[in-house]
Amino acid sequence: MRKFLAVVGREWRAYFFSPLAYVILAAFLVMNGIIFSAIVAFLNTPGAPKGQALPFLFTNTYFWIFNLFVVPIITMRLFAEERKTGTLETLLTSPVSETTVVLGKFTAALGFFLTLWAPTLVYVLILRSQTPIDLGPVAAGYLAIALIGAYFLSIGTFASILTKNQIVAAILAFAMLIPVFSAGLLESLSNDPGKRDTLGYFNLWDHMEEFSRGVVDTRRIVYYLSATTFFLFMTTVTLSAKKENP
Amino acid sequence: MIEVENLTKRFPTRVAVSDVSFSVQVGEIVGFLGPNGAGKTTAMRVLSGFLPPTAGTARVAGFDVVTRSMEARASLGYLPESAALYPEMRVHEYLAYRARLEGVGGAEVKKRVGEAIESCLLQEVANQKVENLSKGFRQRTALAGALVHRPPVLILDEPTVGLDPMQIIKIREMIRSLGRERAVLLSTHILPEVDAVCDRVLIIDRGRIVAEGTAAELRSRLAGSPVVRATFAGQVDAREPLASLPGVTSVSQESAGDETRVRLECATGADPREEIFRTAVARGWVLRELAREGVTLEDVFVRLTRHEDVRPESEPLPPAEGVSA
Repeated sequence: MRKFLAVVGREWRAYFFSPLAYVILAAFLVMNGIIFSAIVAFLNTPGAPKGQALPFLFTNTYFWIFNLFVVPIITMRLFAEERKTGTLETLLTSPVSETTVVLGKFTAALGFFLTLWAPTLVYVLILRSQTPIDLGPVAAGYLAIALIGAYFLSIGTFASILTKNQIVAAILAFAMLIPVFSAGLLESLSNDPGKRDTLGYFNLWDHMEEFSRGVVDTRRIVYYLSATTFFLFMTTVTLSAKKENP
Repeated sequence: MIEVENLTKRFPTRVAVSDVSFSVQVGEIVGFLGPNGAGKTTAMRVLSGFLPPTAGTARVAGFDVVTRSMEARASLGYLPESAALYPEMRVHEYLAYRARLEGVGGAEVKKRVGEAIESCLLQEVANQKVENLSKGFRQRTALAGALVHRPPVLILDEPTVGLDPMQIIKIREMIRSLGRERAVLLSTHILPEVDAVCDRVLIIDRGRIVAEGTAAELRSRLAGSPVVRATFAGQVDAREPLASLPGVTSVSQESAGDETRVRLECATGADPREEIFRTAVARGWVLRELAREGVTLEDVFVRLTRHEDVRPESEPLPPAEGVSA
């Protein structure tokens, strides 16, 4: 546990020592600020349904575009940088298991991702002071952000171990995230109920809408968690294999 | 503390280490000497647990590096060739991180960090970021990182590479003092380093150990006949008179400018220097220089690693310090 925390702590600090973290954070707040002002404008229109606007924070197009771009940037350095500079050799010759290393780095990335979202809680408080808000769907929305975030970040972590070049790692992660995200969107193109059902299982956009309405479907949670575990496992296996052939 | 038996490491395209066996005891500093690409780093990476061996066994502090990797790694302080650090961390932060990675916790971390800073003389830079440090301080920080968990075994891959002469002397002093209660294996291709630091030398070439022993043993084992060089002012013919001196087996001379240089090969154990002086005085020659050549470790090294088919490394070997046999 101590070793795990040492890995998490170093990664966490490394994020905030790079200007990239602040650029992402600022861009993220600008984007969500625009969305929030749109929500407020919507609520100001006469006859707007009370308590219906907040889910918009999670289901707009920018949400997805931003996640698809920002996750590769968060994860690109995790392993690529250490492989390039050679610090990975020190890390892997310390009495720390590969699993601990992978989980530690992933946890730090997830922590950073959630930190990006933390300021949006202020929006919830502001809205709540002005209009009644059902907190159940809000909590479900944030849960979905954490779960889908973890899923995407695990893919990014895996991409980062495949190369020594951070840019290549980011592009690889992006290239892997696009099909993961868009496969589910094919649902709307199909008329076959069987196909629609299968594709619906992967339709993240719809999942997010469900969550933000307060519908917590365990099938979704099982999908995200098992996919996350799979990519982290692949990362660990690859890390062990890199020892064989550095 | 380090035991290596018939270790082989094969890569898809080449054999880097081939059937190597050796051991290092506590209180011993062993130098791993070899030309670049001889297999030093690969052997050390196997010992550190970074690369698995293809065949053979390696044990660190009694733990097999494959089957009991965690314990072996915990007993080991390893300084990789890159000595890579995290540039954004401060020296004391880096050392605390390394201590925690080794499972040290609580107040003990601070104590160990203090210890490592002291033993590697890092006090003045402890609060600086690694990216602002000179190469010498970086190397010392990396060394301190390898020491912070008080390992009984140290493996240092080219610890002095890229440092200036003063820094090299400092690092060597540190290694010597560290070696008193630990088993230390260090690699180098710098010959004087072996004489300056190591108790014993393993010469490795093309993945095989070609010689092993103390520096003095290697010198005496491989020493040819002793050679004496003399330089006289002006043009003299020294061949006849010097060849008749006791112990001298052959004499050659050449004229260079206003002086004559003579090279005398002698029988083992013979030292005709005083006789040469007396002869010069008796004949009225002015003696400018008179010296007996010791066999340097460099001679030994070159003799052992010279390949008929391969040109020697283009990198020039640093001049050997004048060590007489």
